[in-house]
Amino acid sequence: MKLIELYGVTKIYDETIVPVKAVDNVDLQIDKGEFTAIVGPSGSGKTTLLNLIGGLDQPTSGKIVVDGTDISTYKEDELINFRLHHIGFVFQAYNLIPVFTAKENVEFIMLLQNISKSEREKRAIDFLDAVGLKDRINNFPTELSGGQQQRVAVARALASTPSFVLADEPTANLDSVSAESLLDLMEKLNKEHKMTFIFSTHDEKVIRRAHRVIQLRDGKIEKDVLMN
Amino acid sequence: MLFILAWRNIWRNKKRSLIVIAAITAGLSCGLFASAVMYGMYDSLINTTIDRELGHIQIHSPKFEDEKIITDTIPDFQSVVSNIKNISEVSGISSRVIIEAMCSSPTSSRGVKITGIIPDEEKKVTSIHNQIIEGNYFESDIPSQIVIGKKLADNLDVKLKSKIVLSFQDFDGNIVYAAFRVTGIFKTESSIYDQSVVFINQRELFELLNQSAFSHEIVLRLKSFQQVDSVFAKLSKSYPVLSVKDWKLLSPEIKIYYDILDIQLYFFMGIILFALLFGITNTMLMSVIERIREIGILIALGMKRSRIFVMITLETIALSLVGGIAGLIFGAIIIAIVSSTGINLSAFTEGLSQFSISTVLYPVLPLTFYPILTLMIILSAIIAAIYPAIKAIRLKPATAIRTY
Repeated sequence: MKLIELYGVTKIYDETIVPVKAVDNVDLQIDKGEFTAIVGPSGSGKTTLLNLIGGLDQPTSGKIVVDGTDISTYKEDELINFRLHHIGFVFQAYNLIPVFTAKENVEFIMLLQNISKSEREKRAIDFLDAVGLKDRINNFPTELSGGQQQRVAVARALASTPSFVLADEPTANLDSVSAESLLDLMEKLNKEHKMTFIFSTHDEKVIRRAHRVIQLRDGKIEKDVLMN
Repeated sequence: MLFILAWRNIWRNKKRSLIVIAAITAGLSCGLFASAVMYGMYDSLINTTIDRELGHIQIHSPKFEDEKIITDTIPDFQSVVSNIKNISEVSGISSRVIIEAMCSSPTSSRGVKITGIIPDEEKKVTSIHNQIIEGNYFESDIPSQIVIGKKLADNLDVKLKSKIVLSFQDFDGNIVYAAFRVTGIFKTESSIYDQSVVFINQRELFELLNQSAFSHEIVLRLKSFQQVDSVFAKLSKSYPVLSVKDWKLLSPEIKIYYDILDIQLYFFMGIILFALLFGITNTMLMSVIERIREIGILIALGMKRSRIFVMITLETIALSLVGGIAGLIFGAIIIAIVSSTGINLSAFTEGLSQFSISTVLYPVLPLTFYPILTLMIILSAIIAAIYPAIKAIRLKPATAIRTY
């Protein structure tokens, strides 16, 4: 079942000065339940492609359909709402809200979705339990290790019950043990809950575990390989 | 949760927040104290004028007010006085005879207003008897006593026991001359009053004029300042043919000063808040610039821009209110301390006496000032938040989340 469809998507930056074609006429389909890595050297267009799929940016031309909805024509407010209800984000630098505890960080996304306080609290504890941090729910980000913070970020991404999770270099700031542990968790969530994960990464550890690897170069798909 | 976020955010950079909070606290407490001093001055002006001369309410014949002619007396004044004595709110009532006269000493002459009184009744209404600096206030039984102001005594070059002559018209227009002996000299907060008013026993005036008792002015003192409006309304209704006036009508210039004072002081505090507003805006702008990535993440996660705007505004209000409330409390404490001791302005006696202001000033601020000022602080915070909040909501999440 198609979850994400890109048709002739192009993104050009600084169109009026020195145009840079970050993504060049990309056609791509990603099914529900995939565990896919987008790889490529710096400047290949990985981040731009992820931004386009995640509704953080709009294509210059082409069409992006997510969950059956064409988001390429959405206005800013519609995109914010779309991201809130359909996409879970995990960022390279964890990016938790520093003044919130782990539980509050997970709860906050549900507050934005107008979920009741009791439901928010219950789900936040459940998700933190699922990522192995039940005993750290009242810790602030500065009191957690990098690996633990990234687990909180995964719990936050899942708490909004998204259609898929976009992870931008999620292991880049982690030591190898924490990175493997995080990937174990994501793999488990993918297998057990059919949660779709799309990574942008340079990390061999992520590429090794991915079920599908899409290689970009100069904004085009160079290779699209299904792994065993 | 948005409140918690806003509150915790302002304490992320404690030093910076405390500096702006200290600036707000200092600005507001100083502003409050200055306002209280000004209020105290006007309170002093009103109270001294009421205590010295006006009383709370006065009753005249309508014609007397216009031309001050001796024959324009209050009809059947004794029944008016006895009726008013029965009003429970009235603590004192004095019936006065008022005559414009010329006052002469061997060396000089001055125009004065003779106030013919019954001393024991006048004592219950005004405070001149407490402001005698030489002699006494009609305490002996000797005839032809006159109590005059210090300034008039200086102008006429007379002292205690000196003889002075009053000349004035009687009911038929004939000039009456009468000699009096100075038995008391008073000094009030107003030099103008001190040089223009003299007191004599009204019984002696009746004899000089060959008239039975009459009255030009009935002055009332009430138990409380707050009772003025209700008693004034009652008397106006009871005596429609007489001119009944409260202190505000008797001295409209003071009433206008008092009304304008409120506006002046809110404007004054508004200027202080306006100056502080730039400091608050600067602090919040720095806070937003430091959090570009974080705010970008919030937008990326799905936080609506309107909520980002509210979050920044709440942070600004919280920051301003902490400083604002501290300023109000600190200001109120300073006012309370200083008002218990008073500010001694005796070094400026000469200047203050021109304005009828007491030389010891007690700063005071109406309680209504505090909630209105709190609202002004919130309003200033909202204005201060606009620019940083607009800066925040204009961030593009795709670039903001990659800002380090």
